[in-house]
This record gives sequence, structure tokens and C-alpha cells, in this order.
Amino acid sequence: MPFKPFRKKRPDGGVPTDSFSDIAFLLIIFFIVTTSLKRIVGFETELPASQEQEKKAATETPTVTLKVNQLTFMKAEMSIEDFKAKLASMKLADRKPSEKVVLLDATMETDYQNYYEVMAAISAAGGVVGIMTETK
Amino acid sequence: MDISVPTTSMGDIAFLLIIFFMVCSNFAKESKIKLKPTDAVDIKAVENAKISVVIDEASAIYLDGQLINDVPTLKLLIENALPDKANSKARMVMFKCDRFASKRVFEPVLDAIASAGGIIVAVGEKRASEGESK
Repeated sequence: MPFKPFRKKRPDGGVPTDSFSDIAFLLIIFFIVTTSLKRIVGFETELPASQEQEKKAATETPTVTLKVNQLTFMKAEMSIEDFKAKLASMKLADRKPSEKVVLLDATMETDYQNYYEVMAAISAAGGVVGIMTETK
Repeated sequence: MDISVPTTSMGDIAFLLIIFFMVCSNFAKESKIKLKPTDAVDIKAVENAKISVVIDEASAIYLDGQLINDVPTLKLLIENALPDKANSKARMVMFKCDRFASKRVFEPVLDAIASAGGIIVAVGEKRASEGESK
């Protein structure tokens, strides 16, 4: 009987792809857990430089004053709805950029919610918010 | 005849889903920061900004999820992060603040963003109508 040499079967070359879909689904789970698909809502505002603000403040810039539960616009106390109506009647969007500024003054106790609503109303009316900062 | 679910294209479908999530998602950098968001009626969808500044319910300031100790440091970091002052889209800074934070907390931050050359994208939640404030 002739001698038959034992040959070890060599594995086929190639990248093993069996676990590709498992890896892919693990990556999907990672992305689902770590990301947010929530749409961001808000408004954009570019606060004017302080020098411009001071210059404009000397002239008749419309000013809104916020106290804890009180809104005063051009020296008249009003609700947020009346304030929005007043801004709409001023047609800020049609004005020159330098005349769009509405100064926002508030007491130190004013919370961000009230401040935000006023800023959002000014931005929605086409105005530019100017923040009045207190000098030390 | 063997009856089985065809699984040949499962990998392709999975990779397409990965690409979808990578393209249309933002990483939740501030998921650990606790705050009660503001809401308003007059707000609309805005573009996501590269830089985000958050003030949480304990009045702590965060820049891109990192705690910042003081406002001058925040201003310096924003200035460095906004190299292209001519491009308005590159100057967008997302600002989120707790609804009960007082002016003495958020005003210096708004001022710092503005003086560093940033355009403030004030983020809140859309309220359906007037009088529904939380």
C-alpha cells in the first residue's frame, strides 16, 4: 500500500464577515443612545456693541423695563400681549438697522423666563435687542 | 424547500442606518446638565451652533459641557473658539439657561458672548399659545 502523506487543510483566505451585521447593530444602538434628534427652537440675536448702545441711548431709543412681574414700555405699563402689539405697530423690520434697537432694562431679580419672552418678542418683531448693563 | 428569512442584506441595511444616524444627529453634550428650559410663543427652528453655553439650575456655567469657573475665562475661550469673525454662521453661540436664573447670573454671560463676537442663539421650548407658561 503506497504511503499517503497527511496534508493539513489550509483555511481559505479572506476577511471573516459573519459578525459584520452584529457590529453594525451594536453601532446603531450606540448612536441611538448617545444622540438627540430634537429640533432646536429659539431666536438669534446679535447684541449691539456697548459704544453704539451708549450713543443710541442718548437719543430716543425705545426702552422696555422689566421688574419682577411688571413690564413697562416707553413709560407705560402693559402686558406682554400689548407689548407685542405695540412692537408690531412700530414696524421695526422695515426700519434702518440703527433704528431697530429696543433697549432692555431689567432689575437684578428678573428671572430668565420673563427676560427671554421679551427678547423673543423683540426678535420676532424684527428688532435688535440692546441690553442695558448696570455700571459698577 | 427550506423556508427562512433572507439575511444576506442585513449588514447593508444596518450600515445604512448607521450612516443615517451619523448624518442627522447631534451628540448630546449637555445631557448631565440639569435645567428647567424657558418657553415662548415667538420662537422658531434655528440652526445648531458649534459652541454652546449653558447655565444650569445651580447657576453654574458650562461651555460645550465643560464647567467654567468665571465669566472672563468664558469670554476668552469663546473668543478663541470664534476665529472667523467675518462669517456670521461661524459666530453662532447657542445659549441655554435655567428659567429661574436671575439677571445677575445670565446678564454677564450674555455680555461676554456678545463682546467675544458671538451671535446669541437663545434656545428655549415652543409654547403653543399665550397663558400656558409652566
